[in-house]
Amino acid sequence: MKKEKNIENNTNSNNSSIVRGSNSSKRWSQAIAFTIFKLMSYSVVAILILILGFIVSKGIGAISWDFLTKAPEDGMTKGGIYPAIVGTLYLVLGSSLFSFPIGIMSGIYMNEYAAGSKIATFIRIMTNNLSGVPSVVFGLFGMSLFVNTMGFGDSILAGSLTLGLLSLPLVIRTTEESLKAIDFSYREGSLALGATKLQTIRKVVLPMAFPNIITGLILSIGRVSGETAPILFTVAAYFLPKLPTSIFDQVMALPYHLYVITTSGTNIEASREIAYGTALVLIFIVLLVNILSTILRNYFSKKVKTN
Amino acid sequence: MLTIDAKNVDFYYSDFHALKNINLEVEQNKVVAFIGPSGCGKSTFLRILNRMNDLIDGTRLTGSVLIEGEDIYAPGVYVDELRKKVGMVFQKPNPFPKSIFENVAYGLRVNGIKDNTFIEERVIESIKSAALWDEVKDKLKKSAFALSGGQQQRLCIARALAISPKVLLMDEPASALDPISTAKIEELIYELKKDYTIVIVTHNMQQASRVSDKTAYFYLGELIEYDATTRIFTNPKEISTQNYITGRFG
Amino acid sequence: MKVKRFLEKLVEGALLISGSVTSITILLIVLFLFKEAAGLFNSPVIEEGYVLAMNKSNPVKKLTSYQIKEIFDAEITNWDEIGGKEEPIEVVRLSDLTKYYTEEELGAEFENIPAKASELTAKHPGIILFLPEQYVAKNFDGTLLKHEKLQPGDFFGGNEWYPTASPSAQYGLLPLLLGTIWVSLGAILLSLPFGIAVAVYLAEIAKMRVRNVLKPLIELLAGIPSVVYGFFGLVVIVPFLQQTFLLPVGETALAGSIVLGIMALPTIITVAEDAMRNVPRSTKEASLALGATQWQTIYRVIIPYSKSGITSAAVLGIGRAIGETMAVLMVTGNAAVIPHTLLEPVRTIPATIAAELGEAPVGSGHYQALFALGCVLFLITMIISISIEFIGKKKY
Repeated sequence: MKKEKNIENNTNSNNSSIVRGSNSSKRWSQAIAFTIFKLMSYSVVAILILILGFIVSKGIGAISWDFLTKAPEDGMTKGGIYPAIVGTLYLVLGSSLFSFPIGIMSGIYMNEYAAGSKIATFIRIMTNNLSGVPSVVFGLFGMSLFVNTMGFGDSILAGSLTLGLLSLPLVIRTTEESLKAIDFSYREGSLALGATKLQTIRKVVLPMAFPNIITGLILSIGRVSGETAPILFTVAAYFLPKLPTSIFDQVMALPYHLYVITTSGTNIEASREIAYGTALVLIFIVLLVNILSTILRNYFSKKVKTN
Repeated sequence: MLTIDAKNVDFYYSDFHALKNINLEVEQNKVVAFIGPSGCGKSTFLRILNRMNDLIDGTRLTGSVLIEGEDIYAPGVYVDELRKKVGMVFQKPNPFPKSIFENVAYGLRVNGIKDNTFIEERVIESIKSAALWDEVKDKLKKSAFALSGGQQQRLCIARALAISPKVLLMDEPASALDPISTAKIEELIYELKKDYTIVIVTHNMQQASRVSDKTAYFYLGELIEYDATTRIFTNPKEISTQNYITGRFG
Repeated sequence: MKVKRFLEKLVEGALLISGSVTSITILLIVLFLFKEAAGLFNSPVIEEGYVLAMNKSNPVKKLTSYQIKEIFDAEITNWDEIGGKEEPIEVVRLSDLTKYYTEEELGAEFENIPAKASELTAKHPGIILFLPEQYVAKNFDGTLLKHEKLQPGDFFGGNEWYPTASPSAQYGLLPLLLGTIWVSLGAILLSLPFGIAVAVYLAEIAKMRVRNVLKPLIELLAGIPSVVYGFFGLVVIVPFLQQTFLLPVGETALAGSIVLGIMALPTIITVAEDAMRNVPRSTKEASLALGATQWQTIYRVIIPYSKSGITSAAVLGIGRAIGETMAVLMVTGNAAVIPHTLLEPVRTIPATIAAELGEAPVGSGHYQALFALGCVLFLITMIISISIEFIGKKKY
């Protein structure tokens, strides 16, 4: 009992209540700390809203049917961004044709065939390393390999391959994680019925993992459509009035377009309106991608639950 | 004055009615054991006594729980003060990733004690009370993770004792330990009874009969029977209690 | 049955090949980047097609790229500054020959230039003559510098980046490296406190309902393209800084740090929050059961426990910031000088590559220097990736 007295003295709480000690300093510091954390968290959200709000409010005026369907005019100060939209679509399509199959297959290999093995660990480390490589290094690499060495020139092909390699780690990671989330018992159930490993993957595992994989693919499309540095030297053109006719043609692209008309256009001030509009279209793509993936995730997770 | 006095306690996890109308009294310096099959609510009730369930979203309690005559669920209660007076030892040893000394000193430090001589005295005393002193006296600065499971659990007990609680809650403290460590913990409980009121949840019937003065049998969220341990284990009133302690289920 | 088994093996092989694509890509990146960059140290110090000539009596027989530049910028004016005799340096370019000789002497078709250049060099002990190779006489009377190669020290130790300088282009890494480090450190200093605060808030303080709203918003921040961040920085942050600090230009290292700081936030928050969520529940409960408040539990147990995760978050954030190109290119002003304060324009490595690769002829020294920058960037990010791998494995 003497010791207890001592504790009470040390904490300055001489009242004997077990629930109402007067050691208020620690509660004060908690209240202050939590308020600060809350404020900081909400200020991060405020930054997001500021960026989105600014670009939406400034850009909405530029958006019109003509803006979306006409080529730039008068040295990028008038007209629309149609060729850039089409170019970005081609690049997204081209890079997806490359990265989706390879990425999904790598993911399957890592989780279904090599799970836990040294090979899988090695691939994972390499994939993580690749995802840490800056996009401008992809640009250098794409220029050296695809444009110069392989002789594709500045082309949709070179740009798509470069972007495809860039988005590969994301596709691999989401595939692997989607597969990992599926309980092993489903695989055992199928194997126990005499199905081969490949049949099990095709008929049981992949269909179950599909919704999550799709979500990852959509996010990778969002990423690819906004990348600028990798396409600077592999495909992007400053101004092309006509649309590409083959995969060896150059194209305009939305992010590159925004970059050039804000930094090196012929008349930067006069192009501002177009720049806001282009930024808004890019933001719109990001929002669309995020909303779409969220909806898909929720839709499928409900569907799986009811099954 | 009763140390613990629970009156008409009902407890819910969201929609699930986990405890139904529990009334239970514990006197000072007694050891009470809670027994019952898994999911019967005995651990939930234990965690009500230091409001550990507050951490779980969507829980709700009606009725009142008095500790030393004060309602611990009344508005304006500071849970950290409550938990200082009602210590807890968990199922699995959960030392902090700190040195042995700092583990025991933790409770003192967070409760605002800055006097280092006092902290040192108190740490040594607590480690001695937890019957761990001889094993760790030379390595107080070493990581707590270097200790064996049984030693870690006694360290956790020492940690709880350091802040001089009035009540000590033990949630299956020996279930993750080997028989020798278990025996040591039981011996310790017997020693600690002199200074503390102890509530222990256990799966092990022999343990309950060895260490406790009174035993409460929970089943499906209800307190079926609460009586002196000798009576519960020799002559229970309820047939359900009898079935459980004779091992017919559970 | 045999066919089926063969097919299974075939598919497994195809999957393995797909799995190896990322590793092969890394290998190819290393191969191609280093191949292009290696040429840099084999390229001449002096502009292609030109030579530098000096008097035979001059004991200086070698000049580094930087010394040449300093001489022609009149920063070095006496040979004794670079290990020669006490003798003023006399810089002569082709066009300066008319100061020494009349047009008649040089010839109507400049056919006498080789002879006169040789003569001039022989007569003036302090001369350094910058001359097109075609005007070098067969029996030139002087020391010729033409096969000097760029040294690794010129690149790694050079503190000027001036790839179009004549007669000797400057490919000094230091201003760009320091610019990158300044901007990235500034970014991480701004975003780390916010990142950790938000991570703590999301992991330990916020109610589930609040978290479910905040989390997707923060993920949205990660989805915004860097060029849009750059644009926002250019039209909002740059003018704001210019007005606030009364600067001549708003495009500064600070503008870059702010934009990068915002961009690094989602990474830091996600990684740090995951780390805090991995703290075992039992450890948290142990702290609370000892009478610690939630806040005491956070800073005494949860943060120390997730230290390695938080470190990973910071390192990953720095990695993102170092490699980021477009946003930085648009807001930092791109002056290739060693920065002294955050309120000056700077130029980072990625921004330099993006801004200049278009103008550098394939295979030129400039082109190779840009690839060398790419190698440096690649190595930095590799070190970061590997150290994260290492930090992640370490447990308290």
